[in-house]
Amino acid sequence: MTLRTYVIRRALLLIPTLLFISILIFTLIHLAPGDPTDVIGGPRGKLSPAQKEELRREFGLDQPVIVQYLRWLSRLLQLDFGYSYISRRPVIDMISDRLLNTVELMVVAEILSVTLAVILGVIAAVKVHSVPDVLASLAALVGYSTPNFWVALMAVMIFSMQLRWFPVQGLQSYGAVFFSPFDAIVDHLKHLVLPVSILVVSWTAYLFRMVRASMLEVMGQDYITTARAKGLRERVVIYKHALRNALLPIITYEGFSIGFMLGGAAVIEYIFSWPGLGDFMVTIANWKDFPTLMGLSMIIAVMVLIANLCADVAYAMADPRIRYD
Amino acid sequence: MVERTDSNEKTEVYKPSMASRVRVVWRELRKSRLAFAGFSIVVFMVIVALFAPIITPYEPTWQGPSRRPPSMQYPFGTDGRGRDMLTLVVHGATISLYVGLASVFVEILIGVAIGMFAGYFGGLIDDILMRVTDIIMTLPTLVLLIVAVAMLEVRSIHVIVLVMGVFGWPFMARVVRSEFLQLRESTYVEAATSMGASSWRITIHHILPNTFSSIIVIATMDIPWYIFYEATLTFLGFGDPSSASWGVLLEIGYYHLGTHWWIITFPGLALFFTSLGFNLFGDGLRDALDVTQRGR
Repeated sequence: MTLRTYVIRRALLLIPTLLFISILIFTLIHLAPGDPTDVIGGPRGKLSPAQKEELRREFGLDQPVIVQYLRWLSRLLQLDFGYSYISRRPVIDMISDRLLNTVELMVVAEILSVTLAVILGVIAAVKVHSVPDVLASLAALVGYSTPNFWVALMAVMIFSMQLRWFPVQGLQSYGAVFFSPFDAIVDHLKHLVLPVSILVVSWTAYLFRMVRASMLEVMGQDYITTARAKGLRERVVIYKHALRNALLPIITYEGFSIGFMLGGAAVIEYIFSWPGLGDFMVTIANWKDFPTLMGLSMIIAVMVLIANLCADVAYAMADPRIRYD
Repeated sequence: MVERTDSNEKTEVYKPSMASRVRVVWRELRKSRLAFAGFSIVVFMVIVALFAPIITPYEPTWQGPSRRPPSMQYPFGTDGRGRDMLTLVVHGATISLYVGLASVFVEILIGVAIGMFAGYFGGLIDDILMRVTDIIMTLPTLVLLIVAVAMLEVRSIHVIVLVMGVFGWPFMARVVRSEFLQLRESTYVEAATSMGASSWRITIHHILPNTFSSIIVIATMDIPWYIFYEATLTFLGFGDPSSASWGVLLEIGYYHLGTHWWIITFPGLALFFTSLGFNLFGDGLRDALDVTQRGR
């Protein structure tokens, strides 16, 4: 099988997967006790039974569940995610407003943590049991034993509230007037520092352990001994022979952990009022805004699956030994 | 640990008793200082959780002067309602450890059953089960939990535990399945089959016990995760406000964030300490039991 057919087959597999996820999400949300019309009426909504009946018809809630599911699915296929019960805006608009903010936060944190983890992981693995290795390993242990939302709260308390180094929340200072675009960018970057650092701390801790373990495993292989026996310089052995192979499992791990990272980012977004998808998720789950919640869950699922597909394809391209089956 | 020797195993010449296996693991564990430290932290936390009412200086509902910083009288300070934080953190240990252990129990039940089923039967059953496992494994657990817990509206700690276990099993299932696939082909299973052992007997008596090491290691490392997830859910407003887990205390601390540092600090430190203990202990167990699978 060629790489192309492999990619096509993996992409086709997305269809049954997404179907399964849509059933899972629909079931989860429709298991909910209570009546959506209570939600539509607003928090203090006192709708008469006649009004509720009318709303039910309007949203198609009087239909059997299976009909509701099929309708929802057919609209999804036309990329129509419906309207929010609360704001009455199209779900897709509300999501696209926030998508880029999440992507920005995650991409910046991801680039920084991968870079840090690879550098530290290689140093630790090359000089195993040395002082830097022990220090880095201990730091990673502390890093992944700490709940990141607690670290975030402590950071807000210390750096924002006590020392006043960084702003507490949002993308930009509220109501600030900037004299130049440069000032606006600096202000935005200041808002980015704390949320990004907290994500970097926790993601680096995981990745570091992966890189270190993977490097150690590769360094013990025969071909590394061969490379050394050929008289190659240690630098070449480490970076050209060992590191390239050691990074392969990291690609798969990255693909797998994107969902985990999105979850972690959600809490951080909530704490820093970062207007991204995670913060939005928490809000609409509290509101019980069903159409928005279903739409957002589906979009998150699609993002995760595509990231996974990309990781698998990248792996297949990077590793010529892989058999496509 | 219960000491037990199987007497109904007639077909085998030598079988190490549970007690001797535990002794071997214990000896290995003692070799690593970090693993032993982890074990000690876990034991300490379990004792604290079990004897919370005896250890604590006050009742959890007792109210004294409010918002006092840490002092000799109130080592962790008091909260906005004048409750002693040390007492609350110690009682929180009972609930948070229950959350971790009970969720892992649900995870083991589902994960082992599915892994066993897929690994033993193989073929189409295996394909379907593993597809589902992969999908649930890739989905963001926290997002799923938020949707499920928010929708269920039952703000009970036991329901939250159940939901977390129901979404937490995929990794366990994968590992158990892969061990079953390997062991199914081993010579001793072949021998048992040739002696006429039923497939049920082989599964339960011959294959399953050999997956215990991996199950124990994964379970140990997943316990802090469930404690984290419950704390996070509670903090986000989807928890059980009636049971004062560490998550509830952190939420209280959040309200006093700018003014009273001790309320958020001590429950968080307890969470960190517990998690550190389970992680170190899990790492040590993995080395002692010689399990190659890595945690998530």
